[in-house]
Amino acid sequence: MSEPNEPAGASDAPAENTAFLYPFIDSEERDPGPLLVDLAASARAKAVLSKSLAAATIEATSGAVSAAARAMSERFQRGGVLYTFGNGGSSSDAASVAALFSRPPSGQALPARCLTEDPAILTALGNDVGFELVFARQLIAHARSGDMCIAMSTSGGSKNLLVAADEARKRGVLVVAMAGYDGGTLARSPSVDHSLVVRSDSVHRIQESQAALAMQLWRTVQLELTRKAA
Amino acid sequence: MTDPAESTPTWAVEGADDADDLAAASLALARRFNAGATMWCVAPQWPEQARHVAVEFVHPVIVGSRALPAVHVGGPGLVDALRALVRPGDVLCAVSPADDREVADAFRRAPAWGALTMWIGAGPRPAVGAADHVLWSDPESDPALAPYDGSLSLRYHMLWELTHVCFDHPGLLTEPEGEVCEGPVCITCSDEGRLAEVVAATGELDAEATVRTGDGIETVDTTLVGPLPAGALVLVHAGSAITVVDEGSHASPDLLGST
Repeated sequence: MSEPNEPAGASDAPAENTAFLYPFIDSEERDPGPLLVDLAASARAKAVLSKSLAAATIEATSGAVSAAARAMSERFQRGGVLYTFGNGGSSSDAASVAALFSRPPSGQALPARCLTEDPAILTALGNDVGFELVFARQLIAHARSGDMCIAMSTSGGSKNLLVAADEARKRGVLVVAMAGYDGGTLARSPSVDHSLVVRSDSVHRIQESQAALAMQLWRTVQLELTRKAA
Repeated sequence: MTDPAESTPTWAVEGADDADDLAAASLALARRFNAGATMWCVAPQWPEQARHVAVEFVHPVIVGSRALPAVHVGGPGLVDALRALVRPGDVLCAVSPADDREVADAFRRAPAWGALTMWIGAGPRPAVGAADHVLWSDPESDPALAPYDGSLSLRYHMLWELTHVCFDHPGLLTEPEGEVCEGPVCITCSDEGRLAEVVAATGELDAEATVRTGDGIETVDTTLVGPLPAGALVLVHAGSAITVVDEGSHASPDLLGST
């Protein structure tokens, strides 16, 4: 979320006018019963869509996830560090991914951290050099050849992710990109090594599937590391 | 993409058992926001989850949706921070496992702060009465992976989506009038067992304490309970603190009715 170019009226927009369904609408409406029934039905439909989209995404991206996990596990084995980043809700999702890799509930803890964790650094860079550079400049400071990054976006159009992907590529950092819709500019960027796209036009459903996708990536990295150790 | 649900009907019974809870929570949240509430979001073990909830409400993904006041509160001394921030009518929203002691401690104080509580999580459910609304992930899902697999974000995304649907129903956004008093005993009017938090410690010689309840600050008689430390929870009945509520117990309807 938080990308400025999200189209209004995504598929599950809550602003749809359902007034005709209720006998007493507007300020005359007093009985919450019909609304609660409708809300619960809507919740069930969203849960169904979320789960099936995640399953379809995992199936459609299995080849790309395997390839990304192989490349990442090789870099982790050689001491590579994973950096994650995104804007808005995607920044917290990127933090979640870093937490999963570095403090996993099971398996090997791996060096991973999110580049949106420190407001002093974000505001210093945003104020002094512009928000388009908040991730690229951190990569310049920290990243080395052999490291890797995951750029998370729903639109695939965030300028600061595109700039960071270019910078990462220049420095020999493996670039994994997650996006929604049709993948946007990010998924097609020549700087991106592995594109994982959730084919949906709902920001919320995209983020839920991206979480499932990131977990699949983490699982596959763990399996690769176990296999290599054996 | 086309709705894949149509080709996979087996999903239809999964992950949706909390749909009624979500509906009720969304209407309650919309009512609180409509009355001016701030939603305080906490997730001591997964702070990024609470940040995601906050940004969801403050900066909605759907252009034109109302920006609503939601704030992530983290760091050490969570209960002390919330005590200073929360105002009567606010909402506390936690994303955490049921065994999170900080969340449980904040939530048991919430009635004294006048706050509505919502607990989003996975795994074993919180005790009955631990929160006003419990939005819990599928019992069969792995609670250790719930913060990472999208099942928690699904719940707070839906909470946001459904809350905004409620705003299209202005007639339902005000709390219904309370029950009309009838008969010789009325729990509301008899002031029975309201939860209160002691504001300042009292000593052996004190017969009164300043306490905080959902209605604000008041002074109550402490003859029955003796000296109290700051932060102690007591039940107040007819201007008197009648019992101290121990840690680990919740101000459940049963407890409130047992006076």
